[in-house]
Amino acid sequence: MAETQALDLDLSAVGSARVVTSAFKQRVESMALGTAVIVLLLIIWELLPYFVSMKQGTRLFFTVPSRILATLWQMFASGSIWAPLGVSATAFAIGLALAIAAGLPLGILLGRSNTLNAMFDPFITAFNATPRLVFLPLLMLWLGIGVWSKVAIVFLGALFPLLINTHEGVRNADKLLINVVRSFGAKEWDVARLVVIPNSLPFIVVGLRLAVGRAILGVVVAEFFGAQDGLGVLMVRAASSFNVDVVFAGLIIFAALSLIMTGLVKLVEERMNRWRPQRAATE
Amino acid sequence: MVPYIHARNVNLTFRPPNRAPISALDGFDIDVEEGEFLSIVGPSGCGKSTFLNILLGLLKPDSGEVLMHGKKITGPGSDRAMVFQEFGLLPWRTVQNNIELGLELKRTSAAKRRTVAERLVSLVGLGGFENHYPHELSGGMKQRVGLARALATDPDVLLMDEPFAALDAQTRDLMQVELLRIWREARKTVLFVTHQIDEAIYLSDRVMVMSKRPGRAKKSFIVELTRPREYEMRVTPEFNDLKLEIWNTLKDEIVV
Repeated sequence: MAETQALDLDLSAVGSARVVTSAFKQRVESMALGTAVIVLLLIIWELLPYFVSMKQGTRLFFTVPSRILATLWQMFASGSIWAPLGVSATAFAIGLALAIAAGLPLGILLGRSNTLNAMFDPFITAFNATPRLVFLPLLMLWLGIGVWSKVAIVFLGALFPLLINTHEGVRNADKLLINVVRSFGAKEWDVARLVVIPNSLPFIVVGLRLAVGRAILGVVVAEFFGAQDGLGVLMVRAASSFNVDVVFAGLIIFAALSLIMTGLVKLVEERMNRWRPQRAATE
Repeated sequence: MVPYIHARNVNLTFRPPNRAPISALDGFDIDVEEGEFLSIVGPSGCGKSTFLNILLGLLKPDSGEVLMHGKKITGPGSDRAMVFQEFGLLPWRTVQNNIELGLELKRTSAAKRRTVAERLVSLVGLGGFENHYPHELSGGMKQRVGLARALATDPDVLLMDEPFAALDAQTRDLMQVELLRIWREARKTVLFVTHQIDEAIYLSDRVMVMSKRPGRAKKSFIVELTRPREYEMRVTPEFNDLKLEIWNTLKDEIVV
């Protein structure tokens, strides 16, 4: 018995090692290809003014990567970027944190209790079907154009993907595993802790990824729509004075923030998924 | 004297929403001695697993009495543990942490849990796999973990719900040998549900045949083979006679 097991295990280890190397090679190759395309496009963009003659008016709205980079550098070097960035980041962080703090427990409660689910499901469905940005004028009226209307819109945007995904994950919790822990004397809280929450983590992470996107969108739109301060406000003001470099700089900062946040979520996901089979295949 | 496990006139009807009620057990009786290895065979859906779940405390019968040590079973308790057909290991826990599950829920100290897990890991022959995750194990190894987990809380009764049904035939034969070895060391009362008559005879002191749904006890057969059981016993005339006898009792109940 022990012998056959050892043999089985060795074979599977060899197989998975081979899969890992080829997956790694593939990843490096595809990363190299992706980078090459970006670099090529940037070079074409940079050289465009040398090949295409532009009218005076068009040139006003046009810029090249090197100038955007210089503007970005200047913004960070002078420190002028930190204040608006801080304002936007604060609204984002508070709104997302509140959405997580409310969405996860609510999702678990609704998923575990048929009564609560029956009570709130129609409400959630209706709310989720409505684009949350339509609440923005109302929120601004109620909360003003300071940080709290932004926090509210970020919260509303991020809450539902978290709530709905958590709920879905909890609903899908493995009945057998629930019976297993119950048979060892688990109470409702133990069932949640030992089975339901770990079982719904993949769903929760998907919800988190969506929530991050919605939260950033909330910040941007709220600041475009009318706010006192923030990165979005900076971009709108720059655009109205034809300062294309600053608009692009803001765009790049938002893009970078989104990428960083998505990367963080992915990191969390990978950390939690250590127990999962075939990690290479899910890449 | 009341037997160790004593069930009389147990009735349970499932009432799924929007469908006709299903009577799973109807007047089911059983007595089990302390330390006995009892197998229950019966046609699919006859309520074998239902009865194990009642004993485990996860299901409540509509009527009838189910006693253990002369006391009514009211819910799960650490004097009983189940080995599940589909293993039921928590996939995000290592072998060691799966084995410690029941002790953790009993609020046993980490040091004590570790000692118990170490002993059981070696008892079920999983040395070196303590930190593996279930997906890294073969089916046979998974069920060894399931067995170790059930033994960890040191229950008096081991309930086994077709524990080897998900394993291939050879692994199954080897797991039967292993189970007998572990049973000899751990000395538990075992209720073992299976579809395989061979398996039931080879392992048990007694084999009980159940009727088709709604399930009731049809007939019990004492297995006279000596212990320890040897694999060769499976080809002796006594073994085959008993197998035929059980099959003849069982076959009328099977609806194809």
